[in-house]
Amino acid sequence: MARDHGGAKSGCRSLRKMKAARFMIIALLIWSLGPLAWQLYTSFCTDQALVTPFASLDQRWTLVHYQSVLNSNPPFIRYLFNSLFAGVVSTVLTLLLAIPASYSLSKLGKRSALFFKCLLIGCALFPYVLLFLALLEIARYLQLGNSLIALAIPYAALSQPLAVLLLTNAFSDLPPELEDAARVEGLSVLQRFRWVLLPLISPAIASTAILVFLFSWNEYPIALTWISDSDQLTLPVAMARIAGSSIHSVPYGPYAAATVIGSIPLIILVMVFQKPIVSGLTTGAIKG
Amino acid sequence: MTLELRQVGRNINNQWIVENLTMTVADNECLALVGPSGCGKSTTLRLIAGLDPVSTGSVQISGRDITTLSPAERSVGMVFQSYALLPHLNVFENLELGLRIRGVSKRERTSKIRQVLDLVQLWNRANNRPAELSGGQRQRVALARALLREPEVYLLDEPMSNLDAQLREDIRPELRRLVLEQRKPTIYVTHDQHEAMAMAQRIAVLNEGKIEQIDTPYNLYHNPCSLFVARFIGRPQINCLKDESGHIRGVRPEAIRFSDSGLSGKLQSREWLGNSQLLFLETQQGVIRIMAPPEQAIPEQIRLTWRAEDEILFNAETGLRLSR
Amino acid sequence: MPLLILLLPSLILLIAVFALPLFRYGWLSFHADSVMTGLVAIPNQGANWQRFIHDARYWQDLIQTLRFAFVSVTAEIVLGLIIALILNQPLRMRALIRSSSLIPWALPTTVMALGWRWIFNTPYGPIDRLMQSGLGQSLNALGEPSIAWITTVYADIWKTTPFVALILLAGLQTIPSDLYEAAKLEGASSWICLRRITIPLLLPYLGLALMFRLAQAFGVFDLVQVMTGGGPASSTESIALYAYWNALRFLDFGYSATIMIGSFLFLSSLILIAWLVITVARNRAAGVYAK
Repeated sequence: MARDHGGAKSGCRSLRKMKAARFMIIALLIWSLGPLAWQLYTSFCTDQALVTPFASLDQRWTLVHYQSVLNSNPPFIRYLFNSLFAGVVSTVLTLLLAIPASYSLSKLGKRSALFFKCLLIGCALFPYVLLFLALLEIARYLQLGNSLIALAIPYAALSQPLAVLLLTNAFSDLPPELEDAARVEGLSVLQRFRWVLLPLISPAIASTAILVFLFSWNEYPIALTWISDSDQLTLPVAMARIAGSSIHSVPYGPYAAATVIGSIPLIILVMVFQKPIVSGLTTGAIKG
Repeated sequence: MTLELRQVGRNINNQWIVENLTMTVADNECLALVGPSGCGKSTTLRLIAGLDPVSTGSVQISGRDITTLSPAERSVGMVFQSYALLPHLNVFENLELGLRIRGVSKRERTSKIRQVLDLVQLWNRANNRPAELSGGQRQRVALARALLREPEVYLLDEPMSNLDAQLREDIRPELRRLVLEQRKPTIYVTHDQHEAMAMAQRIAVLNEGKIEQIDTPYNLYHNPCSLFVARFIGRPQINCLKDESGHIRGVRPEAIRFSDSGLSGKLQSREWLGNSQLLFLETQQGVIRIMAPPEQAIPEQIRLTWRAEDEILFNAETGLRLSR
Repeated sequence: MPLLILLLPSLILLIAVFALPLFRYGWLSFHADSVMTGLVAIPNQGANWQRFIHDARYWQDLIQTLRFAFVSVTAEIVLGLIIALILNQPLRMRALIRSSSLIPWALPTTVMALGWRWIFNTPYGPIDRLMQSGLGQSLNALGEPSIAWITTVYADIWKTTPFVALILLAGLQTIPSDLYEAAKLEGASSWICLRRITIPLLLPYLGLALMFRLAQAFGVFDLVQVMTGGGPASSTESIALYAYWNALRFLDFGYSATIMIGSFLFLSSLILIAWLVITVARNRAAGVYAK
């Protein structure tokens, strides 16, 4: 009898626990998605509706904000492409530098590998905002301002710590016999990369690439200082520019529309690449 | 075609992993390298394959010095403990990779792979990925890859240690046939002495990077040159009795018999082995293992003897065999 | 040796982007380089450092930055732990929940920074509307210096908690479940399990999240620059923003460099202290665990 009683009680408790968990999850979703939903709502509201939400209006919903954003000069889509371009170039450059470096790190002796790892973690901890002035000077000196391709240089550098740490882990996790077997078969270093190493670490490469891409897409201070030509702005800088200099006259309707357009690619990206993003972030945490 | 190692050594951070290794493996001979883990047997294979550089000495195949050649230039066929098959390629592609790198034409590649897969009876699995194969099949693919290399020397690094005991016994004759048919010098690394005795004509026992003894399985068992070899070869282990003169007398468990006189002992425990039983007897000279027939009755008063010629004498300090 | 050659391009880039600027700042901080000097560097015998030490605005900004960093990071870790504990349970649609909670982290800071300006807008934003109808009083979340910094903290928490939660979730998943089963057999309550198993074993991850988040929060720039512009009355101005104003608004590169190198030195010592504290705590926890 006592046992039955205990069982019923714990059943009750686990049911209550489940309900509590469900409630918390809903709270979590509202908390993280609510602000975005509000932006979505705002983007479709007429200015009148935004100011007087409870009054009955002839016209509550509108697409005018989207029209104004898409037809601006340069059109907003342009910034998306700029960010995409900067993101892709930076990702490629980052991987080109990080893959050989990680291979070498994974083969180095324990002590020197630890030294380089500490160096990389130090760089990763560095608040890179503080670098913008010197980077700006370098950009001016080398005449790299206003070039999206040139942005890839600082981005690749800032992404190196994460990329190298992630890829070094991937290389170290490979069974060394696979590469030994390929050497016995007569494959050169490049052939081993092509046939053995790269295919095997491709999941880690995917994680790294997507994280680097996200970073480059979102980066603000360096893009802000390097790029002034309004045709070359990346999305974050363009968004900030919409606000203009005054705090009180932000065109919230068009801005919300821009937020929505600017967020859609990223939301799709996160939904599609949820797994590599999570695995990239977490292996970085577990092994870093 | 012979494989010859002359005073080969490998030194890392002032520590000898393999030291002063000299041996010759004849054409058509399979030599087993055995020893406890960390004794340098896998390193020896890697030195022969060129995967690690030697610190001293030279490696020669049929009198040709290959010490400084890269693994690609050496023409060795190697089977790895983990089989080292690429998980993203199927069996056919795994085998094709090396041939393609060596510039073999597409038609020739296909016919060669077909031939070797027929030999290991896996042609029907050519389109499967390694993950879809059993352990034994993977091992045969790894062997097929080594065969395809048409090498001058075969190196097998614990090729069966990832298989379960039953399968190992089943595969052994097949593996022996395939390897011996090649008529090439073969080195077989294993930690399992039964496997070594089954596969090899000669066995080299390694201890801390040095060769203790190279000999036929029979001689290693009956004429070990040191206490280490005597203890390493033969299960259950040899009995080591310390006598008054400070020597160590080694007696194999199966050489000891019950009798009316001699060393007295008390039964401590026994293990049934099916076709025999292993008895642990407590005596004045320590615990003694003896093998007895399964139906053997244990006498009340246990007395043990053995023939003098079954006794092997070792120097207690150096562990070396004393000539009789 | 060939191994090091593969490492070299990456290393050179890191040195060029991380080390060179620091040397440049060190050098610039002993020079006057502003509109006054025609943007030419002229040695000024430590005048920048003199000014730095007596710059009340910098120290006020430093205090604001530290306040921002400590409050937001503490909240993120507590909230992150709670979210991680929720997500660590067997859930339906776990992937969907995980990616939805990742979206705030993935969006550019500037995008939502302006969104927050609208949401906290007085009097038209939803928060202010709620306050007006609920308390009959406007919150003025971005106009009141004593509240504005909390609003920026909230925005930061919203954005980075998913990241913290994810790291802690990874940590939770490394804890072998038999530890909990053994504790349950001994009759331990959930609270005891959390205190004695989860938290101690999670310490390395907590430490990691703490260090990374502290370093990032210390350099907060995007959020504040776009959301409040440092206002009202410089109440939300961070040191990075101050350095930015000095360089690009006042065009005083020498002093901006001084601020940055000074802040770098300060942060380095801060991280060193945090690291020491974490190591000691971890060793103590390991000791408790061993007992």
